[in-house]
Formats: sequence, C-alpha cells, structure tokens
Amino acid sequence: MSGPASSGTGPVPSGTGPVLEVEDLQVDLRTPRGTAHVVNGLSYTVGHGETVAVVGESGSGKSVSVLALLGLLPARVATVTGRALLHGEDLLTMSPERLRQVRGPGAGMVFQDPMTSLNPVLTVGRQLVEGIRAHGEVSKADARRRAVELLGEVGLPDPGRAVDRYPHELSGGMRQRVMIAIALSNSPGLLIADEATTALDVTVQAQIIDLVEKLQAERGTGVVWITHDLGVVAGIADRVLVMYGGRCVEDGTVDDVLERPVHPYTRGLLGALPDLAAPAGPDGVVPDLATVPGVPPAPTDLPPGCVFWPRCPVRSDPRCETEQPPLVQVGGGPGALPHRAATWCEDRTPGAASAVDRTFGAASPGEGGS
Amino acid sequence: MTEDVLVSARGLEVHFPIRSGGALRRTSGVLRAVDGVDLDILRGETLGLVGESGCGKSTLGNALLRLVPPTGGTVTFDGTDVTSLDRRGLKEMRRRAGMVFQDPFASLDPRRTVAQTVSEPLEVHGLRSGGRERAARVAELLELVGLDPAVAGRYPHEFSGGQRQRVGIARALAGEPDFLVCDEAIASLDVSVQAQVLNLLRRLQRQLGLTLLFISHDLSAVRHIADRIAVMYLGRVVEVGPADAVGSDPQMPYTQALLSAVPVPHPELERSRKRIVLRGDVPSPAAVPSGCRFRTRCPYAFEPCPDVDPALQPVGAPGQLAACHLHGVVGRPVDSGEPVAARD
Repeated sequence: MSGPASSGTGPVPSGTGPVLEVEDLQVDLRTPRGTAHVVNGLSYTVGHGETVAVVGESGSGKSVSVLALLGLLPARVATVTGRALLHGEDLLTMSPERLRQVRGPGAGMVFQDPMTSLNPVLTVGRQLVEGIRAHGEVSKADARRRAVELLGEVGLPDPGRAVDRYPHELSGGMRQRVMIAIALSNSPGLLIADEATTALDVTVQAQIIDLVEKLQAERGTGVVWITHDLGVVAGIADRVLVMYGGRCVEDGTVDDVLERPVHPYTRGLLGALPDLAAPAGPDGVVPDLATVPGVPPAPTDLPPGCVFWPRCPVRSDPRCETEQPPLVQVGGGPGALPHRAATWCEDRTPGAASAVDRTFGAASPGEGGS
Repeated sequence: MTEDVLVSARGLEVHFPIRSGGALRRTSGVLRAVDGVDLDILRGETLGLVGESGCGKSTLGNALLRLVPPTGGTVTFDGTDVTSLDRRGLKEMRRRAGMVFQDPFASLDPRRTVAQTVSEPLEVHGLRSGGRERAARVAELLELVGLDPAVAGRYPHEFSGGQRQRVGIARALAGEPDFLVCDEAIASLDVSVQAQVLNLLRRLQRQLGLTLLFISHDLSAVRHIADRIAVMYLGRVVEVGPADAVGSDPQMPYTQALLSAVPVPHPELERSRKRIVLRGDVPSPAAVPSGCRFRTRCPYAFEPCPDVDPALQPVGAPGQLAACHLHGVVGRPVDSGEPVAARD
C-alpha cells in the first residue's frame, strides 16, 4: 500500500479497514449570540462499501459535522476538536496542503443544492477537468476524455455534448449527476452526500440513489449519507446515526433503529411520518399523526442534562434535567453491530416501550402551538 | 351530477408566452403550465394534488382562484363562472377561498405584527367593524390554529417555521372561507413540525367543514390527509380518484412510477420493494410531446400513444379515472381533432 499515514505525502491510501473513523468530534461556532455547540462528541465508523446515514432535523448539526471533517468551515469562527481518521490519517490535524490532496481522491462530497454549488459561468466539463487535473499529471485532452466518461457513468444522456453545457442548461437531476461525477472523478474511498437528493423530485431521487448504490457496489466506496428523510435511510443505509442537539442520541443497524427505536426522539420522529403504505388504522379511520411537541433547541442554548428532555413526553428520571445520559448498548451484538441509545428513559427494551408510543399517540390536536 | 361540486375546472389552460430578448419582445413559444385540466372538487372534501416540480400544480391552484388568469377553459366556484367575474364578484370569491402558501418566511410581512397580518382580510372585506371586535376575532383565529392569543403583538421573526405557518393559516381563515388552497404548506417544515400542521389542517377541515385543495409533492402526506388524490404530469391531470384507490392501486403508469419511487421508512419493505425507475427527465412544458405526454418516459408506450391524446376514463375502483390507452384508446387524435369514442 501507500506511504506511512503520518508522513503527509504520497498518494491517498485505500484498503480494507475502516474508511473513516470519527472519534469524539466537537464543533463550536462563534456567533453573535454566543458560542454555538453545534456538534458535541460524535463518534462513528464507516467501513469499506458501507453506507452510514446521519439523520436529524434542521439545526441538529448533521451538515456541520461533515463540513468539519473536510476542513470546509471558516477557521475564524469554527473550533473543531476530536479525531477523524480517513484510512488512518487524521483529517483534523492535517496540513492544508495535505488536506487539499485528500479532498477528491480521499473523500468526495456532494452538496445539497447543485445550482449553488456548481459555478454558473464555467461549463460542466471545465469544472470536472479542474478536479481531475488537480490530482494528477493528466493532459487537458485526457482529462476531458475522462470527464465525458464520468458523465456517461452517472447516466447523463449524450455526455459528449453535455460536457460543454453550462449548469443552467441542465435540469436539477442532471446537475446533481454532474455533482456526483465531480465527487467521484478521483475515485474517492469515501463519498459524503449532504442532503444530495433533498431538492430533487422522488422519481429523480430514485435514479440518483440507484446510481450511488451501483457505483458503491462497483468500487467499494464508503458512504456517509446525510438526510432528514427516514424513507431514504431505510432504502440505502447499513447503519443509522440519529442526531439531536448536536449529539448522537441513537445509533445501530438500519433495522434496529427504524424498526425497534429506543430513544423517545427517534420514536417521535418515526411516529410523525405519514405512512404511505397503510395510512388508516384497523378501524379504517386515518388517525392523527403523533407529534413531537415544541421545536429543537438552539445550539447556543442547549439544555443541561438530556438534550431532548424539554420536549420529551416520557421524562420521569430526575437525572433527565441535570445529567447527560451516556450512549449505552440497548440491543444488537455480540457478533452483531451494537444498537445504542443515549436516554435515561427506563423502558429501554427496543420496540416494547408502549408507554412512549401511547404518550406520543395521545398528543392533543393543538399541541406545540405557542 | 349527483355529487355536490364546489370548484370545477373544464379544459382549463394557463399558457405563458415565452418572449425572446431584444427590443421587439417577440413571442417565440408557449409554455403550457396548465394544459387542459378537467377537475371537480367536492364540497367538504380534501383533494390532494400531487406531481413533480414544474408539472403545473401550483399554477393550477392559482388559476382556480384566478390569481393567474386562465388563457382557456372555465373555472366555476359554487356555480359561478370565476373567469368572467367583475372586481366585486372576484373580491367576494376571494373571501370565500383562502390560500396558504409554501414559505411561511416569505409569505408573512416581516414589518407587520401577527394581529395586523391576520386582521388584514377582515379590513379588506369589511368584516367585524371596530377595533375591539377585530381584536376578538384575531384572538379567536389564533386560538383556532393552536397559537396563544397573547402572541398577537409579536412579529414573524419571533416565531419558528411551524408557528409562522399557523399564522398563515389563521390569515387564510379570517374571511371564513369555504375553500382553502394549501400550496406546499408543509414543504419547508421539519418532519415533527409537519405532523403538527397536518393534524391542524385535518382538524380545521372537519371542524369548519372546509373544502381543501392540498397541493404537495409529498405523496405520503397527501395520502394521509386527502379523501381523493389527483395526479398531474406536464400540465394535465392524468389520474384522479379516491385516495385509497389511487394510493394502493394506481392505473396510470406515471402514478405507478411516482408511488414506487417514494421511499418508506421500513428497511425490510424498502429492500424487497421494486422501484420503477423512469428514464430521463420530464420534457419541457414548452415542448409537450404529441398524444400522451407521458409516452416519452412510459415503459408501456405503444402505437396509439403518439397519435391520440388520452382522455380521463373510468378504470379501477368506482370514481377512479386515468388517462391511459392501456385501458382502451380514448381521446383526441393528434391530427384530426375528432375524439375517439370509448370501445366498450
């Protein structure tokens, strides 16, 4: 394999070990309203060919957590601590030169809005060629050939002509394919997709998800998929990490977290989703959706204790309001991946906590109003 | 007609001229945002209108309230032809038809208090004369949408997205409308807040006997709230029917693909489900394909599709209509213009 990880030179390594190991990641942002604790101790691992979904609502810190990994937060306001090993090499302590080498071949990123993340005055081809030539001695002609090839791989019709188009000449789905082509242009070991399909229609979303899954199967890319859409998560993820108030409140395999959720927040989130398959109850009447009362906390003003307690309908333990619950194993393993949750909630039996579901289900119509 | 229709569109068209640049501003084409829509909205029902971006669903919602002028066809509201209303008639119609917009950040005036925003329709329509009566009505409306009446003096920036959307709903209800159009009313909200607003709309619909047009790209939300569902593609309603029927047994290939593409939060189901992935992109509404407009992406396209523009025909469950030649070639041939009658 390639040179020693710490040397900070040479090609970006790849291997069969974990692609990414994040340990105790903390991100503080200085804001006019005080320090925002946006990410508070996040740890996870992404294996070879594995997809980890990071889910949460707006303000939960999910996007910031990955921007921090690639050094994309403004250094003047952001303080990032912890470790983030990409193939064993710490992204957070890397020199800016090394980080520039790693972005691209090491980790590619697809941003949410392809209209604002592509340069409107450069052709799609120029933007692809730029990335390809930045990471290798490639002639312009070869880079252009590679660009056409990549556009074909991501399923853009007529790539030979598309390469000379400007972003505004393409539809939203085509632009997002271009973004993916750019992210994949240097065959990264890790692909980070930040709400990559959120702005797209469902039929286009299905095309993009198929594409990423196909490329992942071919190349064994590790994927971090950031989304708020639990339906997308169910389809693509191997493992899920639920974020709330900058913390991981629950993680585990996709089946454990979505089918046997333990944390009251995860349960509330799932209960709040309308069910496309079977909206009506056994009596044939469509019931009201369960809701999580209130709104998420501001990262400048996180509650002490469990981050979820001010909205939690089942808080009962005196520690809820004072002591932060640790992330402890509630299921899974040994042999299987652990299922973990951070809650003082007594009823930790996955899927059996009917008290939680009853409480959420009994929410009154005017809840969370003022 | 046996059912009580409140709002009805017949052959409704909203075409926008595409102007080229330059001094003459010559019209170089026509964008067919809404292109021949037949739709009935029954009194007291919630009709969900779904479709992808650019299919014309918002323009249709606007055209029903004459917020954009239709370029062809008719709209009737409670028996009155909306397209021919004069100023006074239009004003009264707009009192009876409220609108809730997508973005609660952009649709509320940041410099007006909640009370000013909610009482504006009262002033415009001369309802509840006198400050005290209006204040009482505002308090009543805020309470109705689950807000504390004490917030009346606050400004929009002091509220979260979900609370702002409640203010938008209170404003839409101020004139005691019969009909409420919700255009992507939950799209900009977080999941847990979406559920709060969906529950609120359902409660209001029942409590006030409203007729609701719920426009959304979110099929799960529409399936949850709607009694009937209409599906739009490229300016046309291509399938309509009871929510159960359209949601679980769609008859039009586009509806089938659309439903199959909606991810559901059940891992096992997602893994076993067969997704119909459509080829390519939606054609431009400035260059609508001849005949069936879905044929360029349809996995089942066959001979009559380019030649006959399919009409909605009864298929599947009672009350379910789909515009598709797979159920019999019914519609208007592209060249002759003479409609083809149903075979059976």
